[in-house]
Amino acid sequence: MYADLLHALPDVFAWTNFAAVVIGVIAGIVVGAMPGLSATMAISVLVPFTFGLEPLVALGLMAGIYNGAMYGGAIPAVLLRIPGTPAAVATTFDGYPMAQKGEGGFALQVAVVSSAIGGIASAFALMLLAPPLSKVTLLFGPSEVFWVAVFGLASIIFLLGGNPIKGLISACFGVFVSVIGSDPIYGNDRFTFGQLEMLDGINIVILLVGLYALPPVIDLLETPLKTDGINSSKLGTESIWKALPRMNYWKTWIRGSFIGIWIGILPGAGGSMAAFMSYNEARRTSKHPETWGEGEPEGVAAAEVANNADTASALIPALTLGIPGTAVAAVMLGGLLVHGLQPGPMLFRDNPDIVFGFMWQFLFGAILLVLLGGSLATNSFARLLNLPRPLLGSVIIVLMLIGVYSIHGRMFDVYLMLGFGAIGWVMDRLKFPLPPVVLGLILGGFAEENLRLALRIGRGDPMILFQNTTSLILVALTVAVIIGPTLKRRFIDSSKS
Amino acid sequence: MPESRNSRLTRPETLTALGIIVVAVGFLIPTYDLRAISALLPAAMLVGLIVLSVALLVSDQRKASMGEEAQQMTKSPKRVIGAFMLIVAYALATDYIGFYLSTAVTIPLVAWVFGYRSPVGLLIATVIVVGTIWAIFDFGMSQDFPTGRFWGR
Repeated sequence: MYADLLHALPDVFAWTNFAAVVIGVIAGIVVGAMPGLSATMAISVLVPFTFGLEPLVALGLMAGIYNGAMYGGAIPAVLLRIPGTPAAVATTFDGYPMAQKGEGGFALQVAVVSSAIGGIASAFALMLLAPPLSKVTLLFGPSEVFWVAVFGLASIIFLLGGNPIKGLISACFGVFVSVIGSDPIYGNDRFTFGQLEMLDGINIVILLVGLYALPPVIDLLETPLKTDGINSSKLGTESIWKALPRMNYWKTWIRGSFIGIWIGILPGAGGSMAAFMSYNEARRTSKHPETWGEGEPEGVAAAEVANNADTASALIPALTLGIPGTAVAAVMLGGLLVHGLQPGPMLFRDNPDIVFGFMWQFLFGAILLVLLGGSLATNSFARLLNLPRPLLGSVIIVLMLIGVYSIHGRMFDVYLMLGFGAIGWVMDRLKFPLPPVVLGLILGGFAEENLRLALRIGRGDPMILFQNTTSLILVALTVAVIIGPTLKRRFIDSSKS
Repeated sequence: MPESRNSRLTRPETLTALGIIVVAVGFLIPTYDLRAISALLPAAMLVGLIVLSVALLVSDQRKASMGEEAQQMTKSPKRVIGAFMLIVAYALATDYIGFYLSTAVTIPLVAWVFGYRSPVGLLIATVIVVGTIWAIFDFGMSQDFPTGRFWGR
């Protein structure tokens, strides 16, 4: 089972594949360091540019960006008390007080080393857990696959928190978008309104760029950030190798890694929850909890190790079952589909070099964080905060247009992307979750195809969907995911009263 | 204090729910022409959207009747509308007058309108971005960009 993992290693060291990881990590740190930009947005913008690239080059870029952005978010969190990414909120608690004391450089070094350790742990978890899980899913037939899709959608809607009605509306919208185009079995048009461009359905990249890239650009232009100029020469940064002996946070790193990995596997939780949980646990078990919040480096370590430990682990359910644990993982699934790689058990059987190579790229991306995010680079990345945001916004608009236009070489897709962008902006402002839309689009067609196949096998009898143990377990899990949060809320309310 | 009837109906969530209902009903009509099995999933999703939007509408109106303030969409609507319009104008300009010309105008225009006013910085940024795009996509990857319907190409 793990032999394929070793076979994939030489391909990762091909210079183009390795360079892709390096470029990805640098780009990820840059994106993460800019408040308002996120890994999700960066990967959404990147995906269309990867069409012509070899799969491992494209996936290496994505893995690098994901790892880099999770650390990059710590830079403005430490220097400005503005988290570059949502997952870096907990980093501000002790990172910013450290910067005020003139220890901003050390805070960023603790962040980069902790991020690398979290990323390495997460990559190992992906390597160890994904292959056996994929073997189990090989036994699934059409009805089980249908229920896996339903379970995936239910878990991302109900475990994401927030308003379940809005989550369900998002999912219904995503599934509806997935059925636009030709019917997969009869070939008749559905909701194309005579537009030839829509016969093949809505390309996932158009939806991703619209939903995830346009709203942050509007945000960039809406509220210009005043940074008051960051003087990176005053960070007090020494060589990272000299700073390493001062970092003795092994217990926090191990605990935070486990928390991050676990949260990453759970659909809908995400890096910010992992960082908060790890920070709270580390503070609870600290011998000096009174120093936390006033510039305790271990606080930065706890938050950063956990928010990076959820990166690769979020891909465990994504690669094996097609259920992403986070929004970035959902976008990465889109990236895989662009290269003809359908997530699920067949991915491991048909493309072992690519899927295992991708896992190695996550590991090397995490290691590269220390080398690329060290002292010199940290100073340079801190200067990025002085980039004018309106200029950055206008450049991203151009990149979005190029990316979407390049898919089929037609402006129709650009207009469609703008439509999805407007919808995405409204959804974002009214707090409708976006991951269920993407997952609905990915799983909608998949669920429909398998549902219809199962019904054909059962000669139209819907009871075929409930006739084996695996299906029943999946139905039970779906029900548990739907009613679980409500029961938990009622239990908390009753215990409070 | 409960809101007036007019302001209750213009709450963003209420308007969104009404919009979804109208659009979903509109999309539901063509499903009658489809085979039953073909229409099953889309019709289920559209009916789901209508039912859920009604639930959202009711819950938002309840909040309004209890005096809860509506969620504010933006603090600076003019900037948001301006940004959207500039982006749409850029797409249309690309379509009608060509990619390079509209990009060379859009980058400095958007940055200038939204607060970056350094002429030298704008010039350098525009030259670097347009030049890099040309070098990578046009020269390196032979990617064709729209040359403009207006010029008849």
